[in-house]
Amino acid sequence: MANLETSLKECLSSIDGASAAALVDYTSGMALGTLGGTKDFNLEVAAAGNTDVVRAKLRTMELLGLKEEIEDILITLSSQYHLIRLIKGRGGNGLFLYLVLDASRANLAMARHQLRRIENELEV
Amino acid sequence: MTRVTTTWTTHGTTSAALRALAAEGATGALSGERGVVYLSAGRVVHVESAFTPDLGTLLTRSGAVEPDGWRAAVDGGGRQHRVGRRLVDSGRLAAGALEVCHLGALFDAAYFVLAHDTRPRRFRPGAVHWLGAVRPVPVDVVVRESRRRRALLERIWPDPDIDIAPLTRAAGADPADLPRRRSRTLTQVDGVRTAADIAAALACRTYHTLVELRRLAAAGLVTAAPPAPVTAGPGPGPGAVAWDDPDTALLRRLRDALEAL
Repeated sequence: MANLETSLKECLSSIDGASAAALVDYTSGMALGTLGGTKDFNLEVAAAGNTDVVRAKLRTMELLGLKEEIEDILITLSSQYHLIRLIKGRGGNGLFLYLVLDASRANLAMARHQLRRIENELEV
Repeated sequence: MTRVTTTWTTHGTTSAALRALAAEGATGALSGERGVVYLSAGRVVHVESAFTPDLGTLLTRSGAVEPDGWRAAVDGGGRQHRVGRRLVDSGRLAAGALEVCHLGALFDAAYFVLAHDTRPRRFRPGAVHWLGAVRPVPVDVVVRESRRRRALLERIWPDPDIDIAPLTRAAGADPADLPRRRSRTLTQVDGVRTAADIAAALACRTYHTLVELRRLAAAGLVTAAPPAPVTAGPGPGPGAVAWDDPDTALLRRLRDALEAL
């Protein structure tokens, strides 16, 4: 059974075009695990910053009175996709998986499918 | 066993003592005013605090592990300090899920031990936690994260009593008007329960619960009930008697030793 490290490794190895992955607690902004960051791409900073993205969207939904759950958030840059997948778990454990994808190589539908599978291994 | 040469008592704060112990790669348990930090080869392997529900409570209350399964793992693996490994090996919990849950409990407890960074009480060299190492974390990361969490909570509502005191709901506060998570939290506020009780009841991380409670306090919906005389007074002096940590790890080892007779 996969641990945190191997789950993140699986993100990078089984998802085409994936170059970095992190598991992030969006209540505190802390990265519980990161893989694939470089000197030019600090995953800790990305984790904290994307926490604000998730929180802003959750707050907007509260204000709109939407009772739905966020499954994922896609941010499209000119050469990259950033995919944020919220991990559900019982009682909502406040975590998301963050994935950086090369837009020219990634298949978004496949990436979503794989993330869902990997997420199952981390759910509590 | 690692030989500890530091006079850790010379350090005025738990975090400074931890950093010194980490620097010499110490193994053992450092008790602070609000909990115990377990080190293995200078890294944090576990933190316990009476102000947060422990890993077992979180796992069983959330339904991730059956209470019987948890007890079997503790009974079977406690003596060898391999409870975490037992849970995973017996197929009760995925290794990733255990790590995620364990880190949650570790940082929750560390917030209480380190956010109010008082003088450490004692260090027991060589002490090992019965859970066993799941995912060791550098001392610096734990200290930094605890401080960051304190700052985040202070920004929402600067009343640290919310973290530890029994909480009271303001008259007319209606959970139905609130977003789901906050509403769930508010329904648990009954004038008796503390943040830790509420987190345990909801099987939710304590820090997440603290965030919701401070938001509720900022909105004037929740206040820290006047503390009972025994627990009163954050001031100096001999205090903290009411929260003296029972050192559950030691008690468990005692039980194990007695059973082994």
